[in-house]
Amino acid sequence: MGKLGFIKILVIAGEAGRVTRRYPFKPETLVSEDFRGRIEFDETKCIGCGACVNACPPNALELVDKGDGTLLLKYFIGRCIFCWRCIDVCPTGAITGTRDFELATNDVSDLYEVVVHERAECSECGGKYSTIRQKEYVVEAVPITESYIDKCPDCRKNKLLRALERRRGGVYE
Amino acid sequence: MSKFLKKSIWVFHLNTGSCNACDIEILDVLTPYFDAERFGVKLVASPRHADALLMTGPVTLEALPKVINAIEATPRPRILIAMGSCSVGGGIWHDTYSTIGGVRELLKILKEREIEVDHVYYIPGCPIRPEAIIYAIGLIKGLVEKKISSKVKKAVRRTSG
Amino acid sequence: MDISPILKNYKKIVESIGKSSFTHVGDTIYIIVEPNKLRELAEILYWKMNCYHRTCVGVDERPLNGHFALYHIFGDDTNGLHIVVKVYIDPEDPVVPSITDIVPAADWCELEAYDLLGIKFSGRKLYRLVLPPTWPHGVYPLRKETPYNYRPSVKIISGEEIGESHDKAVVPVGPYHPALHEPEYFELYVEGERVVDVKYRGFHVHRGIEKLGESRTTYQQVNFLAERICGICGFEHSVCYALAVEKAAKIDVPERAQYIRSIVLEIERIHSHLLWIGVAAHVLGYDTGFMHIWRIRELVMYIAEKLTGSRKTYGINLIGGVRKDINEEKKKEVIEKLEIVEKDLKKLIDTMVSVPELKKRLTGTGILPKSEARKLSVVGPTARGSGLDRDIRRDLPYAAYSEISFKVPVYSEGDNLARFLVRVEEVFESISIVKQLLDQLPRGDIMAESIEIPERKMGVAAVEAPRGEDVHFIITGRGKPYRWKVRAPTYNNIPALKVMLRDQALADAPLTIASIDPCFSCTDRIVVIKDGRRYKLIPNKGGVVLYG
Repeated sequence: MGKLGFIKILVIAGEAGRVTRRYPFKPETLVSEDFRGRIEFDETKCIGCGACVNACPPNALELVDKGDGTLLLKYFIGRCIFCWRCIDVCPTGAITGTRDFELATNDVSDLYEVVVHERAECSECGGKYSTIRQKEYVVEAVPITESYIDKCPDCRKNKLLRALERRRGGVYE
Repeated sequence: MSKFLKKSIWVFHLNTGSCNACDIEILDVLTPYFDAERFGVKLVASPRHADALLMTGPVTLEALPKVINAIEATPRPRILIAMGSCSVGGGIWHDTYSTIGGVRELLKILKEREIEVDHVYYIPGCPIRPEAIIYAIGLIKGLVEKKISSKVKKAVRRTSG
Repeated sequence: MDISPILKNYKKIVESIGKSSFTHVGDTIYIIVEPNKLRELAEILYWKMNCYHRTCVGVDERPLNGHFALYHIFGDDTNGLHIVVKVYIDPEDPVVPSITDIVPAADWCELEAYDLLGIKFSGRKLYRLVLPPTWPHGVYPLRKETPYNYRPSVKIISGEEIGESHDKAVVPVGPYHPALHEPEYFELYVEGERVVDVKYRGFHVHRGIEKLGESRTTYQQVNFLAERICGICGFEHSVCYALAVEKAAKIDVPERAQYIRSIVLEIERIHSHLLWIGVAAHVLGYDTGFMHIWRIRELVMYIAEKLTGSRKTYGINLIGGVRKDINEEKKKEVIEKLEIVEKDLKKLIDTMVSVPELKKRLTGTGILPKSEARKLSVVGPTARGSGLDRDIRRDLPYAAYSEISFKVPVYSEGDNLARFLVRVEEVFESISIVKQLLDQLPRGDIMAESIEIPERKMGVAAVEAPRGEDVHFIITGRGKPYRWKVRAPTYNNIPALKVMLRDQALADAPLTIASIDPCFSCTDRIVVIKDGRRYKLIPNKGGVVLYG
C-alpha cells in the first residue's frame, strides 16, 4: 500500500452501505429470539409461594403482607436485572419471559406489577398463613394433606405435640 | 411535554457508579447501527449546555455531591433520565453501604435542597439495549406511545372455601 | 505423597523460614507464616522465585478463630501455581508488617485492608482510600459486625476539597468529563508541554460488592453480582467466581459447560478489544475508524445476545455449569457471523495502520519498560506489550483452554503501538479460538448434577480477562461466601500509568491513559488511590476517552 492507502476506507464504507436501523419508525431492531426482556405473571397459575422472591438476586420481586388478609407479590421492573432466575424456579410455570424492552416511562409507578393473593385462615386460631392458592396447590399435588392443611403451621405443630403427649403420657421438661 | 424539548435534546452523561454496561450502550447508540443523532441527540461537554442528564448507576456516596453539582448546573427546564436498573431502582446494590439506591432517593435529597427537576424519565434494563434508549428518545419527543403501565392482578382461587 | 521438584523447592524455602506450615491442594500452595517472617518470605517469593503478586486479602476471621487474617496471594505463572501466604493478626491490635517496599504491587491492597477492615500496616504511610470522606471513622464495612446495609447519614460537602498547592501546573481530568465515561479523576502535573507527574484518584464507583456477596446474596446469586462488577468483562468475573467456588468445593463441571464458558469468554474478549480499538481511534482523532469498528462490533454483540440472551453476556453462568446451551443452528450462525467480522476487520485494520498520523502518534509514546512492568506486576495486554510473556489462559489453563491451541502475542517495545498490536492480534486469535471450540464442542450436560459446598474451604481462581488477569479468592461459608475478594486487572495496571505518562507530551496523555484499557468499575468495587493533596475539577482540552 502506498501513501494513500487510507483512502481505502471509502471502499469499505461503500461496501458496508446503510446499516442504520429504522427503529422506532419501523420495527427494524437487532432483538434476537434469545433476548431476555420483561417477565409476566399469570395470575391464574401463581400460588404466591415466594420461590421467585428467594431466587431474585436484586430483590426486584418482593412478598408484602398487607395485614388485611392479602399478600402481594410485587414486581418492580425498575430493579429487575432480567436474569430470568424466577422462571427457572417457579414451580407452577406462572412466570413467562417476553422480548419486551420498550419500558421507558415518565412515571415510576408504571413499573410495578402486583399479584394480589388472599391469605388462608387457620380453622383453629383464625390466624393468617400462606395463601389460599398455595393451599389448593398442595392439596392437588398431595391429597392426603387435606386433613390438616386448613390449620396454620403453629397450630399444626401444637397438635403434633399434643398427640405425642398423649402417646407418651406427658412431655419431658 | 415542554415545547422546548421537542427539538434537539442535548445530553450530558453522568455515570454515578454504574458497571459500564449502560455507558457502553449509550456510546453504542451514537454509532452507525442506531445513530441517535438522527433525533438531534448529542452528547455535550458540560452540564451547562445540556437539556437532559443521562444518569447511569446507583449513585454512590462518593459521586453524590458531584451529581448534585451537575444537576444544579443544568439550565431549566431540565430533564433527568435515569437509565438502567441501578439508576431507576438501585439495581442489585439497592441497599448496600456505599450507594444511596437510585434516582428516587436522589430526588428526595434534591427536594430537601430545593433543586427542581422538571421531568424525570425512567428507562429500565440491565443493561439497557440501544433500542430501548432510542425508544426513550422517541417517548420524550412524542414520536412513540408509552406502552408500559402498572398492573394489579388478582390471583384466581379455584375453590370457594 | 508424590510431589514434584518445584513443590519440593517451595517446601524447602518455607521450611528454611521456620515456624510455618506448608500444604498443597491442586494448583494452590497454602503457607502460614508468623507476621515477623512475612517480609522475608515475600522477598524470596517475589524476587528470587520470580512470582508475581496477585493481591492481598484481609479477612475478619474472629468468628472462626478469634483473629484477623491477611492472605497474600502470589502467582508462579511459569509453573502454574497460586501461592497463598497467610498471617494471623492479633484482633485487639491488628498490626502486620507492610511489604510494599519489597513488592510495590501490594500497595493498594494493603490500603484497602486498612480502610475496610482496620488492619494496620507497619512501615508505611497509611491513608484513607476507598471510602468517601464523609464515612465515619472507626466503622469498617468488611468487619462481620457491620451490617451490609449500614448507611451513614449522608452529608454533602459542596465544592471541592483543595489542599496545599503544587509548584507545577496541574491539568485535572475528570471526574465528570464528556469523554470520560466513568467518574474517575486524574491529575497531570506539567512543565510546559511535558507531564512530570501524575496522580490518580478514584473510588467513585465503590458499591460495596464484596460485602454484599458475603451477606445478602446466596452462592448462586453472587454470580449475577459478579457479572455486574464490570459491564464489559462481566462474564470473566462471573466465571472466575464460579471457578473459585468450584475449586473450593471440588465440584465437577461438565465438559460442555466448560466449552460454552470459554466460547462466551472469547466472544467477550473480541467485543471488548474492538471497543478499545474503536475508542483508541477516537482518541487519536480518527473518528471514521471508530465508527467502522463499532459497526463491525455490532455483529459480535448480536452473537453475544444469541449465545447468552443479553447483549452484555449477562446471566448464563452459575456455579456448576451454564444455563443456556448452544445448538447446531446457533453454532452455524456464530461461525458465519465471525467469518464476516474477521474479513471486515482485516480490511479495516490494514487501512487503519496505513493512516500515517495514527502510526506516528502510537509509536514511541507511553513507554513502559520491562523492568518497571515486572516490578508492578502489570497484567494483560499491558504486560504483553512490554515483553512480559504471561497469559493465564496458557499458564494456568481453566475452562476449556487446555483443549485448544492459540498464540500469545508478545511485543517488547512497551509503547502504545505495541499494546495496540497485541490487542489486534488477540482479536484474530480469539476468533480462531471460538471456531476451534465450536468445532470440538462435546456432547453432554451443561450443569453439574449435585452442588454441595462445604464450609471453610478456600479457593483461588484466575481468569484472563480482556484487560489482564482477574483473581477471585473465596472462603466458603454457610449458604454464601464467608469472604469473597475480587482483584480486577486494572488494579495492577493503573500504577504503571505513572511510569508511562512521565516525560511524555501532554497531548499523548489521553491515549496513554486509554492504552491500558482502564476499567474503573472493576477496580473501584473496592479500591482507590488518593494522594490527599488537591482536588479540583476542570475539563481538559485533550478529550480523554476512558471507559470500562
